[in-house]
Amino acid sequence: MAQSEKEFSVVGKRIPRIDAYERVTGQAQYTGDIQLPGMLYARVLRSPYPHAKIVGIDTSKAEKLPGVKAVIHHGNAKIPWSSGGHTHPRFIFNNPVRFVGDAVAAVAATDRHIAEEALGLIDVKYEKIPHVLDPNEALKPDAPKISTDGNLSVGKGNFSAPIEESWGDLEQGFKEADRVFEDTYITKHTNNAQLERRVSVAKWDAGKLTVFASTQGVSNARTDIAQDFGLPLSKVRVVSKYMGGGFGNKNQAQDYDYMAAVLAKITSQPVKLEFTREDDYIGMHGRWASEQKYKIGVKKDGTITAVQLDAVTNIGAYRKQSGNLSGTDFYQIPNFRKVIKPVHTNTVVGANYRAPAYPQSVFGFASFLDQIAHELGVNPVDMFMRNRIQKYKSKTPFTSNYLEECIIEGSKRIGWNEKWHKPGVMGGVRKHGIGMALGGYPFRPGLGAAAIRVNSDGTAHLLVGVTDIGTGAKSTMAIIAAEALGIPLSQIQVTNGDTDVTPYSVGESGSRTTSFTGPAVIAAAEDVRKQIFAVAAPQLKVKAEELDLRDGQVFVKSEPSQKIPLARAVARAGELIGRATTNPPFKDVEGKSFSAHFAEVEVDSWTGHVKITRYVAAHDSGIILNRMPAESQIMGGVVQGIGMAFTEELITDKLTATPINPNYRDAKVPTHLEAPNVEVIFIEHYDPYGPFGGKVVGEPPITAAVATIANAIFNATGKRIKELPITPDKILQAPQV
Amino acid sequence: MEDEKKGNGLSRRSFLKNLGGGAIGTAVISTGLVKSDPAEAYTSEAVKGAPGKSAVTLKVNGKSYRVEVEHRHTLAEVLRDQLGLTGTKIGCDRGECGACTVIINGRNLYSCSQLAVWMEGKEILTIEGLTKGDKLDPLQEAFIEHDGPQCGFCTSGQIMSGKALLMKNSTPTEAQARRALSGNLCRCGNYNREVAAVLAAAIKAG
Repeated sequence: MAQSEKEFSVVGKRIPRIDAYERVTGQAQYTGDIQLPGMLYARVLRSPYPHAKIVGIDTSKAEKLPGVKAVIHHGNAKIPWSSGGHTHPRFIFNNPVRFVGDAVAAVAATDRHIAEEALGLIDVKYEKIPHVLDPNEALKPDAPKISTDGNLSVGKGNFSAPIEESWGDLEQGFKEADRVFEDTYITKHTNNAQLERRVSVAKWDAGKLTVFASTQGVSNARTDIAQDFGLPLSKVRVVSKYMGGGFGNKNQAQDYDYMAAVLAKITSQPVKLEFTREDDYIGMHGRWASEQKYKIGVKKDGTITAVQLDAVTNIGAYRKQSGNLSGTDFYQIPNFRKVIKPVHTNTVVGANYRAPAYPQSVFGFASFLDQIAHELGVNPVDMFMRNRIQKYKSKTPFTSNYLEECIIEGSKRIGWNEKWHKPGVMGGVRKHGIGMALGGYPFRPGLGAAAIRVNSDGTAHLLVGVTDIGTGAKSTMAIIAAEALGIPLSQIQVTNGDTDVTPYSVGESGSRTTSFTGPAVIAAAEDVRKQIFAVAAPQLKVKAEELDLRDGQVFVKSEPSQKIPLARAVARAGELIGRATTNPPFKDVEGKSFSAHFAEVEVDSWTGHVKITRYVAAHDSGIILNRMPAESQIMGGVVQGIGMAFTEELITDKLTATPINPNYRDAKVPTHLEAPNVEVIFIEHYDPYGPFGGKVVGEPPITAAVATIANAIFNATGKRIKELPITPDKILQAPQV
Repeated sequence: MEDEKKGNGLSRRSFLKNLGGGAIGTAVISTGLVKSDPAEAYTSEAVKGAPGKSAVTLKVNGKSYRVEVEHRHTLAEVLRDQLGLTGTKIGCDRGECGACTVIINGRNLYSCSQLAVWMEGKEILTIEGLTKGDKLDPLQEAFIEHDGPQCGFCTSGQIMSGKALLMKNSTPTEAQARRALSGNLCRCGNYNREVAAVLAAAIKAG
């Protein structure tokens, strides 16, 4: 492939983010930093009951509090929130309320403290309805019904049904097996816990709504708002320039954007609605919890012959995501069947969090494979190598797949062959262990759009709808533009994340920014290059087709010394504008980034404390476009996985149905002290479907981390922890196998 | 069954904020609350006709600002809302995450857990005060070179804790840097980058 052999000038270097200056000086303006004249502050009142009908709301006392400007609730603001509850209608305020934390009312006041005080003055009369917290209980016929169709969520079309997937002949697969193993693994609800609490600033100008949103996607946020408010797209503007993290729970438009918009409309003043940290933990969503029952058939050498997965996942009171489990994706399974039941309960919603369907079931499946390897007397690295995926669902080829190389290079780096020992055989108090697991995330190109304006001095202005949620997307887009145009990166300015100015973008979720918008940036660059060559051709006295542009010089391909600077070529052109909307074909292939993770741990057998002493993450994400932020994302994904492995769990009190630890301190996230030095290896090969050969980066690193750590703990202690989080008490109490 | 519920009760935070001239502070250490010296209680003057309000002089980044603040206003709020210094972020507003870290009299503290009325006469340094004209602090430069910010929301706090460390100890070890920054959460998990930046800045300055 010609392009794969091309020498890149900008792609693949270690380049600081183009907006790093703004981020380290405090100049980057996040949504919460926006102050508008006459702006009001808003706060949200939440349900104290898991399931209750609101039979009365008295807001008179709250309204009398000086400074309070408006109070809204289900009675006076019945606005649908379509991305908040797929298939079943959900509103910004619902009656009945369906979990502790369901929004009941919002107040706008001249000051945030007044708004907060006013919440306490709202009298709400609730009529309690029976509730259910446990997903298995919720599936019983006599369980309280949370959704009109029952508690089993929608799996097929609009019908209440499990998610089912199968191929091969399961029965035959188990017949061919030398041994069949069965076990259950459990994961808990964890929170995205991004540092920036949800916040939205809304204002109306002559019938046009502007929302400064903390969103991962301005385009779909605009579409959501327009649809739910019944406005044409031209009357809605969504802006998100700097965003303080989301990891999947700031996709699209959310209820707080809507509440701010309604309050701004009623008061005719701009409104800033801020979530508290507790609001943020319970009011939106986290990662769905799961109970995974596996039946796995294997040959004596460890080769998988069949896998059956029956699982129940807890998606909480409203359906915002599928509740699927996909951790088996990285293995070659000839005969397969999974039945996943996503279940409604009266708990906090379980939805998108970085690689939504993966870390839970990578933990379950890779832990179980590691266990089976042990019982068969097979070295785990051989077990994972033998069963690594080669063709999607055993038939469709991948666009590129270097999982094998990830395993080889990663195991070499950590020194697997020298360091691996039989599980639980180490003497002493601090026991060494080593473990591994496989991960990754789907990749595909899709709909993207971009525009590039080339100024008369040869500088360029890239317009893309992407938001930069911390991935470095803005820089990556600039790098792609510089590479494709043939000008230095310093000559490119980027405007992003403003629907009034920037073209459509899919939204920064599902690791799709580079693969969706990247091709559009390349096409827009090609478009404007043609225009540049048209104006440069007469100046160089050749035909336009004979010209090329590199490092800011327009030159004759056959005679590179015949050249003029881009600035001179376009000096009289006014401004040239390249544009493109792209949706590259993707048929009969599957795309995936892959990874193999390796960890060494030291487990204190007296205290149950685990220290990660070394971590190696080998990733096949195709060509790495922007090396430094890519490495940072890998390291960060591992750190989030460490939190999920050891400490994070949103605990719902069984008696009151209330989440009792909705904060950083009690559902502890990793700190500087728990973060190991993550050694990142990129296995770089050109993927023919990715822009400049790149596949996805953001989601993959969290997928294998939890299982990798769990397997290392098993190797150290001979104890298999089958339920997250892996706390010291579980390690101390678990039987040695 | 019918039941009546009146919104939120008294939260730990509103309790702290309504203390006014009390003397509870949260130091930037992961273990939590420590007491500060009661002699440091504020000496600001009450605003006539406005109960619960005082006028204080805040010395921020070398400049003095006379501002009227409510007793319940935290330093973080006043910096952001009244002085427009929005580089200081508020991540949890309850003394857990460190996004609001500023340097007060040479010490890194959570500004969400300091009331503005306690600040009379104290020297406050925020992220905006690190840049001299166009010249970045070496630590800011190191944060750029080492990819310190991912989403960037914790970055100001990380830098201020790093700066407070370097002001006291110009040659910290990696362990000392980790400890010094351990009260600053980074949910992007960019901890190794942030520590590397602090160590690089120390080497550069040394």
